Parts: sequence; structure tokens; C-alpha cells
Amino acid sequence: MMLLMLILTFFINMSIGSVSIPFNEIVSRLLGNEFPRKSWEIIIFEYRLPKAFTAVLAGIALSVSGLQMQTFFRNPLAGPYVLGISSGAGLGVALLVMAGSAFGISFFSGGVGIWVVVIAAALGAILVLLLMSFTAWRVKDSMTLLIVGLMFGSLAGAIVSVLSYFSDANQLKVYTVWSMGSLGSTFAGQLELFFAACLVGLLPVLVFIKSYNAMLLGESYAKSMGVNIQRLRWGMIISTGILAGSATAFCGPIAFIGIAVPHMARLIFKTGDHRVLFPASALLGAIVLLVCDGISQLPGSAQTLPINAVTSLVGAPMVIWLILKRNFSKEF
Amino acid sequence: MENRKVVLRSKNLKLGYRKNGAKIVVAEDLDLELYAGKLTCLLGPNGVGKSTLVKTIMGQLPKLSGDILLHEKSIEKISNVELSKKVAVVLTDKVSLGNVTVYQMIALGRIPHTSWHGSMSKLDHQKVENAIQITKINYLRNSVLSELSDGQLQKVMIARALAQDGELLILDEPTAHLDMINRFEVMHLLRRIAKEEHKAILVVTHDLDIAIDTADEFWIMQCGQPMVCGTPEDLIISGRINLLLPDEKLQFDLFSGKVQDASPFKYPAIFGNETLARWLKSIIRKNAQSFSELDIEISIENAPFLLTVKDGDKLEHFYSFQQFIADFTIR
Repeated sequence: MMLLMLILTFFINMSIGSVSIPFNEIVSRLLGNEFPRKSWEIIIFEYRLPKAFTAVLAGIALSVSGLQMQTFFRNPLAGPYVLGISSGAGLGVALLVMAGSAFGISFFSGGVGIWVVVIAAALGAILVLLLMSFTAWRVKDSMTLLIVGLMFGSLAGAIVSVLSYFSDANQLKVYTVWSMGSLGSTFAGQLELFFAACLVGLLPVLVFIKSYNAMLLGESYAKSMGVNIQRLRWGMIISTGILAGSATAFCGPIAFIGIAVPHMARLIFKTGDHRVLFPASALLGAIVLLVCDGISQLPGSAQTLPINAVTSLVGAPMVIWLILKRNFSKEF
Repeated sequence: MENRKVVLRSKNLKLGYRKNGAKIVVAEDLDLELYAGKLTCLLGPNGVGKSTLVKTIMGQLPKLSGDILLHEKSIEKISNVELSKKVAVVLTDKVSLGNVTVYQMIALGRIPHTSWHGSMSKLDHQKVENAIQITKINYLRNSVLSELSDGQLQKVMIARALAQDGELLILDEPTAHLDMINRFEVMHLLRRIAKEEHKAILVVTHDLDIAIDTADEFWIMQCGQPMVCGTPEDLIISGRINLLLPDEKLQFDLFSGKVQDASPFKYPAIFGNETLARWLKSIIRKNAQSFSELDIEISIENAPFLLTVKDGDKLEHFYSFQQFIADFTIR
């Protein structure tokens, strides 16, 4: 059922944009027929198909990392933002784009290559990830880890503020545009890399799927059921680091998918079983991000909203609604 | 005898933890044994190290020295997964799960036995059913956990531990926060599990009277003193149960099996029905400060209730304890 919905939203998403391409034309193109217009061919295959795939991958990556973090930290508000991964990626990009002027050196002349931004974001995410791993190795308490993650995030945010104070308008704009998030800036080569990263990032989830169910009862009970908490923690950090890190690197920070989607999955399927919740969150994450992207295209106009703004506009009220609807902690 | 089978044994065990490099010893020289089919209650004041002992036995806290043997094999040499198939626990941790049904919860107990993806075999379902039957919670099986009362939830947690199918069950204060009837039910359920399912059960509890009624063995911990182990009844008649009551003002009353004020007290002469006399003593004792008239004779009879006080030649009749005590404490 959800798979069908995913396919449906996938095609609807492709038909939406500044040039509206009818839904049935896309389906008939898929069945081997020709588009009546040549330009549609280019729009679909060069632009919209990669974008839709990116949305699917980013949706899966973010919501699966969110679910892992919520269960591991037993905190309904945990998400990829919380471990400071997005902030780390932001810091990487900020350093690349803005630090140049602060030190009087220009790292780039002319336009910034998109690859360079991706690499900077990935390096930033990996840096935070390494710091987090170091912390995880030193402190045994998960709550401490969560707080340290939040602090890393604030720290990275502060450094970005300082950098932006000293940088000039052009560089600030490059950073701001990146921080608004975009699904449309991944092209063929990157898409394959993103896909590979997602596959690798999902592996620990498969390995630990049973342990996540045990974690529902808390660390002590999980231990009594033979779960190795240290190993699970490493698995969680590596998996969310790769998934959320690569999603942020390729698309910029995308808010609220990681935190809201797992709650939607729990609400829809009314279960705490991670063998259901992981695939459900993945599919739901892909669907929600496709829908958000569709909204951001502002159907019928040539304008496009930043995706991060749309997910926040959709996600924030949803989280508030969830909190008001019932005791948040009982969602687990 | 078959039920003398030792499941867990400790030798010269020293408990404690390390803080800033220094060892803090909680208890030492512990030679403990847990038998299959026996319910053991661990009693002692807060902070004496009961949880430390339990965590050490569970293998979650490293011991300082000595050895803990599970079936004659040191638990440090047993892997986490192997240990979880042998030892199941019910902890004091609050479990707040909204979307999980009782059946799913109990099925979580099968986690150590299932393969990596966690799907349940026929045997797994059978073990869950069995745990539901033993704990008699079939009527709850499809309820969601957030709908359960504390007593029901505790039975579900016991069922989950049962489904884990270990030979040793450890329960940390399973009767805390429960009302009287649920305490009674939970402890008797545990006794039944020990006997019928042949499990070794260790219960940390503060409920002395229900523990006396249900336990086969007591372990009593007291600050700065060696641990006392033995059959509850033996500990009672030898007076060693008073180790639980280091305060001079309290003592364990051999006859009533209750903890009482230890200061000597002289009752007036009481005649008549023994049961009623017991409660008459109780109310006099309770009002001891203001009860001054001790040179009286009281006779008490039942159906209809009649309490007669003979003070010299004067006779007074009372028709309830309330009347009696009101009259005698005002004077």
C-alpha cells in the first residue's frame, strides 16, 4: 500500500514544476511512448528524475536516522539535528565558503563547484561524527552523549555566525543558499554516490534491528536480553552519521523529516516493532519529502521555495500537533 | 534431592564499585547459593547494596574479587547472549510504551533466542503462550500497555521475564508501588513459578510479612554487618531477623510476626476472647501515652461485643473500642 503511494507521489512529483507535465504523459513515456514535446524529455531525465530520486534517498536516510536516534536515546525529540551532524556539515560549508575572506585567501575563483561544497559538508559531518565517536568512547551514558551532541551543534552554529560576520555578501549568499537545502542540485555522478552511501548506512540498521526492539525497554533491560550497548551505540553513530551526513552534504540541511516521520510511522502503524517501523519510516520519509518538494515547486508558478523552509512549515506544526494530541512519550 | 540443584553460587564475593581509582567495598565474603525451585528474598535497608548485589549477579557490574558461578561456570566467561538465555530480570525502570500490546511485550522476552532479524518461531510463540498461561493474564493479551494498572503491568513484566526462559529470575522490588492485594498476588505468583516451573528466583523486597509467607530463603543485608542467610522461620525463632531492625526501639514480635515497639509495656489484666484481647492490646498500645489507667481489669466478650472494665468495685460497660478508648484517654 505504502509502496504504491510512494510510486504515485514519485510520478506526481515529476509532473510538478515550472513546466507542468501531465501525469498520464509521464506514465505513457514510461510505457515506451514518446513525449509529444522534446523539451519534456530533457526536463524529466536531466532534472526531475534525479531530483525525485534524491528526494527518495534523502527521505529514507533522514527518517531512518531519526528513528534510530529516538529509540536509542529513548527521547522522542531526538533526530539527526541533535547529534550535531547537520551543524557539522554546515560548519564545513561555512568554512569553505566564508573562512577564505576572513583569512584573506580565496579558496575559489568564480562559481563554487557543487562538488567542493559536497565534500566540505561531508568533511564537516565526518568531523562531528569523529568527535561524537570519541565522546561515545569516553562517556558511557547515552543522555550525556545527547547533550554533548546538542552542544556540538550550538558550537558549530556559533562558529558559523562568527564567520558570517566577517565574510562578504557574496559568500554569505552562497552559504545561505546551501543552508536552505536543495534536492535539485544532485546530478548523475553524485546520485550514485548518494545511493551507495545510503546502502552502506542502512547496513547497521539491518544488523541491529532486533537490538532496537530490545532498546524499547531501556538500556538495562536491553543488556539483560544480551544486547551489547556499546556495539549498538557505535552502529547507531556510524549509520546516522553516514545517512544524515550524506543527505546533508548532498541536499543541505533538511529539517524535521528526521524527527517527525518516525512519529508518523508509529501513529499510522500503531506498533513499536522496529521490523515494521524501519521500512515504514523509510517509505514514509520518501513520500513526505516528495510531497514537500512538490509543494516547494509552487505548482502553477515559476517560483521555487527552499525545501528546508517547506519541511519546517509542514513539520513544525505536525510535531506540535503530535505533542498536543497525546502524551509524546507514550508514542514509543 | 532434585530441587537442591544449585543454579548460581558465589564464592568469596566482594562487591562494590570503583570511584576515581579507589575501590568502594559494599559487601564482602559473600558465599551465596540460589537453588532451582526456591524463592529467595533479599531484604535490607535502602542503600545497603542490594542493587549492587543484584547488578553484579546479573553481570552488569564487575565484581571486585571472588567469583560468581552460573552452573559452576564463571559468569565473566559467559557471553552476554548466553547469559541472557539463563538469567531474566524484572527491574524498577519505568517502562513507558504506548503502542505495544501485552503479547508483543512478552514476545520481546524471546529476543535472546531469535535469529538476527528477530522473527518468532513456533517454539517462541509457544513459550510466550506458556508465560501468559502461568501468569494468568490471558484476558490482557491484546491490551495496550498504557491501559494497564501497575499491578497488571508488573505481571506482564514477570511474564516477559518468564518468556525469556532463563533458569534464574531476578526481580528488583517487584511489589513497590503496588496495593496490598497485588503485592500478595505477585509474591504468590512468584512462589508458584519457583515451584511449578522449577526456577531459581531472587526477589529484592521490603515487604517483610509477605516475604515471610512466600520465601524459602532470606538473605538479610545490614550496613557494616555480614550478610545473614537462612530459612525465614529459623531466622525468626533465633531472633536473627532482628538484624533488619538495628533500631533498639523496634523488634520483631515472635508471636504476631510483626515489627513492634520494643519498649516494655505493661497491659492491664485482660480476660475473655483471645482474638478480641489481641486487638484490645493493640488499641491500648497505640494510645499508650495517654492511657493511664493500668490498675483495672478488663473482660471482653464477643457476639454481642461487650467490654467490661472493673475498677475496684465499679463496673463500666462499653459496646465498641471507640467508646472505650474515648472514655479512657480523656481522663
